[in-house]
Amino acid sequence: MKQQWSRTGRIACAVVATAVTVAMFAARAAEPGARGEVAGHVPAQAEQAQKAPITPSASPRQFHWWSPGDARRFEPFTTYPDDVGDLGVLLDRGSLETKGHPFFESIGSNGRACVTCHQPENAMSISVPSIQERWRVTGGKDPLFAAVDGSNCPNLPQDDPASHSLLLERGLFRVFLPWPPKAADGSRIDPEFTLEVVRDPTGCNTHPEYGLNSPNPMVSVYRRPRVVANTKYTTHQGFGVGLFVGKTGMPSAQDPETGKPVAMNIMADARQPTLKTQAVEAAINHLQSPKPPTADQLAKIVDFESRVYVAQVARHGAGSLVEADGPPAFGPRNLLKEDAGVLGNNTTRFVFPMGDAWTTPQPDDVAEMRASIRRGHDVFFFRTFWIRDSMHLNTVGLGNPSKRTCATCHGMHMTAMDVANGWMDIGTTNLPWAKETPENPWTKEKPQMPLFRITCKAGVPAHPYLGRVFYTQDPGRGLISGKCNDVGTIVMQQFRGLAARPPYFSNGSAASIRELIDFYDRRYNIQYSEQEKLDLEHFLGSL
Amino acid sequence: MRPLLMLTSAAIVAATPAMAEDLAFVSCPIVRDTKLVPCWLTEYRGELYYLGIQTDVSAEFNPPSLGHRILVEGRPNPDKPRICGGIVIESPAVSIMNAPADDCRTQLPSDERYQLPFEPPRPPGPSKGRLAYDYGPPPPPPKPPYQPRTFTVPYDFDGLVGFKTPRFLTPIYDYAQQIGAKRIEITGYRGAVRLSDGSLLSESEPLARQRAEQVAELLRGAGLRTASYDVKWKDAAEMGGPATRRVEVTVSPR
Repeated sequence: MKQQWSRTGRIACAVVATAVTVAMFAARAAEPGARGEVAGHVPAQAEQAQKAPITPSASPRQFHWWSPGDARRFEPFTTYPDDVGDLGVLLDRGSLETKGHPFFESIGSNGRACVTCHQPENAMSISVPSIQERWRVTGGKDPLFAAVDGSNCPNLPQDDPASHSLLLERGLFRVFLPWPPKAADGSRIDPEFTLEVVRDPTGCNTHPEYGLNSPNPMVSVYRRPRVVANTKYTTHQGFGVGLFVGKTGMPSAQDPETGKPVAMNIMADARQPTLKTQAVEAAINHLQSPKPPTADQLAKIVDFESRVYVAQVARHGAGSLVEADGPPAFGPRNLLKEDAGVLGNNTTRFVFPMGDAWTTPQPDDVAEMRASIRRGHDVFFFRTFWIRDSMHLNTVGLGNPSKRTCATCHGMHMTAMDVANGWMDIGTTNLPWAKETPENPWTKEKPQMPLFRITCKAGVPAHPYLGRVFYTQDPGRGLISGKCNDVGTIVMQQFRGLAARPPYFSNGSAASIRELIDFYDRRYNIQYSEQEKLDLEHFLGSL
Repeated sequence: MRPLLMLTSAAIVAATPAMAEDLAFVSCPIVRDTKLVPCWLTEYRGELYYLGIQTDVSAEFNPPSLGHRILVEGRPNPDKPRICGGIVIESPAVSIMNAPADDCRTQLPSDERYQLPFEPPRPPGPSKGRLAYDYGPPPPPPKPPYQPRTFTVPYDFDGLVGFKTPRFLTPIYDYAQQIGAKRIEITGYRGAVRLSDGSLLSESEPLARQRAEQVAELLRGAGLRTASYDVKWKDAAEMGGPATRRVEVTVSPR
């Protein structure tokens, strides 16, 4: 058990640190176009993070669970069982002693480390079963449940599981962002839309200290942690990375150190351009660090994140996915080997190359599942359907509707992300498609997610598919850009290690891979057969 | 003999409204499925016109959107065989109107009679490894003494920055970097078009200014921060076709 110091002392330290931190951030943000480690929205976040209470925590060691400061060795290759088989976790360039390593140590003030929410057994994200197990083992004392963002709102009683319902039930952490948005240089963005809280089940958006009308106005949305692995694919400088965002024409975000445009594929709202700047924000918000990590710490975090690869390596019914003559799409070693930044929506490179693997007669005990996985690939890659009313897909020259396939949007070779600037609105957070709790006299279920009314201001075109007024659970990229057309757009995630890290979508609204498939089937009226769904489920679970 | 005469007459009648004369009209888009990619059509004064097919982002013709009207500008070519049942409009300029139009939702199923008479540059799914169209290599770097150069950024009707804009902004950025531009002069315009029914359709009034200011913001945002900017606009709408909807950018070495 970790020793925690007294809460009074912590608050005093935090107050001083906050003043210093905010002053430091303010000085950097004052320079227009300043190039530094801290993006424009971070000082406001730092202020709230330092205000959130810190409760005593404990993170006992457990079989597969990595606790901060465990001082274990991260092996070059490890497998972890998941619901459908085994996940493989590969560390390039040899093993790593994690003692003293900033990814694995508590470098903030709430007892968390990066690894707390990016667990190897969950494909470097974290699953709901792992979260629930951690609550059971620690009685909710693990720093995973830190009040700042591991609870629905920091003001709630932290020993009550209901205060952590979004994390416990949907794997969601609170993301708090200043409103109106701040540009990279810290200047205020005049948003194209107004944002009004319609429903606030967590109480955080209307809270006088943490909400929109607080002295430090902040929007709270709730999102899944993203996979911190296979990062050469999320940070590539290849196809689609340019001066301007290919979908909107707006300037691309730039690496503050080099000035070069970046792929903008790291976070759900693309708000941080590099692994380094993301680590700074994460340390300040999630770890409640009063100051950014040191240059040495950042270098080590980025180095580690650049070396980790995850993918499924075995599947019940199919056996090993990574035999020498197996499909070149599968397994972390192929991810390490293949080129990043390549458009794979073509029959030369493919998104997930299957080659000729498993086309010859297979052993009886694996033949059926392997055939199903191959068919599932073909459903993903070749099965057309009509994609309609999806912002940043139907608006980029393909027409609305457009007859295409899954791979049209999920086109990046080996990960199925968009190659660059991958935010789109497929309806996971915007109504009418987002998952909502049925309201009727017979249900006791209550809505879990906040709901915002968005009104595109006069003088800007209304949203082409949703009109001038619409509703969302999470404005997504719109909270960063302030653009009406960005509301509800979310950067798509990589398809790797899916079986190890349910639930899915940025708001955890699909509890299983089947639910994810069903969402698309409803959203786009695809009319998949049961066999197609099953094959697709098998394929996705093998990635 | 009689059936042939009738056919000839029918062909003449069908071609009548589509004599080689520029058309400009606002109508609903129609999408028709085929065995390959969808084709896009529109109806005007009882005649069906073919606009183009779905390809990819590299195409000159970008299909419109159901749920919105379109402004169509172009010259029908009655000498060409119909495609997907519609008279071909050569290189049409198609602008998606901002206002929603719930009556514009016609989606037609694939029909044996209206299949594409050619192989599309890319199928509806994965490509064969290249974009449908190639813009060719960028121009060679300029050689001193550097001269001012003027670029044009085109727009759809009532449009601002969009997915096509980078294609026009990137050469401006490149030239400015190559010559170490000291001055960038930006002039915004808005257009007005006389429709075939005689009515006048004008772009909204603040658009010339919005376009000019936005282009300056985009170039600065992309990294052209050291040059001085002179941002102007012409409030009066210019009569004409798609070419009137533009921003002109002059990049100067001093």
